[in-house]
Amino acid sequence: MQGPLIDTLARQGITRRTFLKYCATLASMMALPPAAGRAMAEAMAAARRPSVIWLPFQECTGCTESITRSHSPTLEGMIFDMISLDYQETLMAAAGHQAEEARHAAMKENAGKYLLVVDGSIPLGRDGAYSCIGGRSNVDILKEAAEGAAAIVAMGSCASYGGIPKANPNPTGAVSVSDIVTNKPIVNIPGCPPIPVVMTGVLAHYLTFGSLPELDEKGRPKAFFGETIHDRCYRRPFYDQGKFAKTFDDEGARMGWCLFELGCKGPVTYNACATVKWNGGTSWPVESGHGCLGCSEPDFWDAGGFYKALSVPADPLRIGAAAAIAGAGAGVAVSFANRAKKNVARQTHETLTVEDLEK
Amino acid sequence: MSLDAIPIHVIDPPSAEPGLSGNAPPLLRELSELAKRLLASGETSAIDLSALPLTPADLAWLQDTLGAGEISVSLQANGESTLNETACPGIWWVTHRNEQGAVTSQFIEVAFVPELVKAHPEDVKNGQEYLELLISDL
Ligand code: SF4
Ligand code: SF4
Repeated sequence: MQGPLIDTLARQGITRRTFLKYCATLASMMALPPAAGRAMAEAMAAARRPSVIWLPFQECTGCTESITRSHSPTLEGMIFDMISLDYQETLMAAAGHQAEEARHAAMKENAGKYLLVVDGSIPLGRDGAYSCIGGRSNVDILKEAAEGAAAIVAMGSCASYGGIPKANPNPTGAVSVSDIVTNKPIVNIPGCPPIPVVMTGVLAHYLTFGSLPELDEKGRPKAFFGETIHDRCYRRPFYDQGKFAKTFDDEGARMGWCLFELGCKGPVTYNACATVKWNGGTSWPVESGHGCLGCSEPDFWDAGGFYKALSVPADPLRIGAAAAIAGAGAGVAVSFANRAKKNVARQTHETLTVEDLEK
Repeated sequence: MSLDAIPIHVIDPPSAEPGLSGNAPPLLRELSELAKRLLASGETSAIDLSALPLTPADLAWLQDTLGAGEISVSLQANGESTLNETACPGIWWVTHRNEQGAVTSQFIEVAFVPELVKAHPEDVKNGQEYLELLISDL
């Protein structure tokens, strides 16, 4: 199964032209010049599949659902054949010790070269005991896996910014990947869930150019997060004309007017929903009559209420600043009890028991 | 209860659709330059229409102005794609759609034949091997 991608795709009945067409569209979505589509197709068709280790932490599996079941069968999904997914708890057949062995084998064989994908936040409270796999805490597993990774992809708002687990009062002390790992390139693909094609775009870029795409100051690929929902919203002319729906069933709502007064966070949310849309391009939240929740921004859960209008005029800095304060205040409760034993256990990967943690 | 009791009105799409932005006419000059380049060096090129600030009206104007040529190709690959020559030979209007029929990307290609139409040597090889198989079964 280590042959070039195009052969794998051919076995699944995906023709070269389908693949070329897909790459042309992908390049267009990533705002790359049209010639890049061809370059991508050629590079990816011939690429050897990089090893990918996918670690699910404190999460709801929505991110995995988004990627694998967006609309089936998807090319996005099948593009997963261009990677060698060596560890993904939800999808892999192996379980228990076998699964852990698979991860260790992949990490050893591809040391320094594998891509690490993380979904879910990492709880630091009680020394990480809130989320453990095989008796080891998420933070422990993340640090170990990050060591040998070429780059890390933080899938979804939880891995990118802490997400819903980090929402006030953040009972588990949840943090993001970049709060823990600081010495590796990290791409954030936020969204609750994230848009599948962004993941494919990042992978395609990595395989074609051997590097990660250009990122914004919040670590997101600029190609998909360069503009706000509001910038590209088809209801924007109504916003500009001051025509707003006041309730979800009034005349304005029926006329398809702007949802700003119903709490739409589009003006402060950077994401590609308005152009890429959801469910195979069928629709997206605003098109279905509901405002944007701002799910791809840090601390969207605590941004003051989904149905409360942003203060006018929309000021992107306001949410940003409030979020920063909430983040600092939430704090992380690390238990100091019995620390020595826990550290030793961590280093030797000895299994911790609940009793150990409660000592 | 009659349907009238449900307070839903069907409303024609807003007529406030933005009109011509003036961004389309300069594209004709660009296409003319690209066509010259094709003639001089054989170099093909493409313009990504979704990367430009064009309104639906602009696109309609452009498509109308470029007109329809003699060849239209349709490709069934994960949804339909159409590659249509315009009234200017060598200028192709390329539209990719997904399985739901939504436009996923749109280009104007400047080439003798659009890349996607050509058969790849590897695929020709597969086809030829298949022919051999057919012959051996005769
Ligand atoms: S406020 Fe929301 S609904 Fe209104 S134009 Fe902006 S993104 Fe669209
Ligand atoms: S419209 Fe807003 S809340 Fe909805 S998925 Fe997109 S970014 Fe998230």
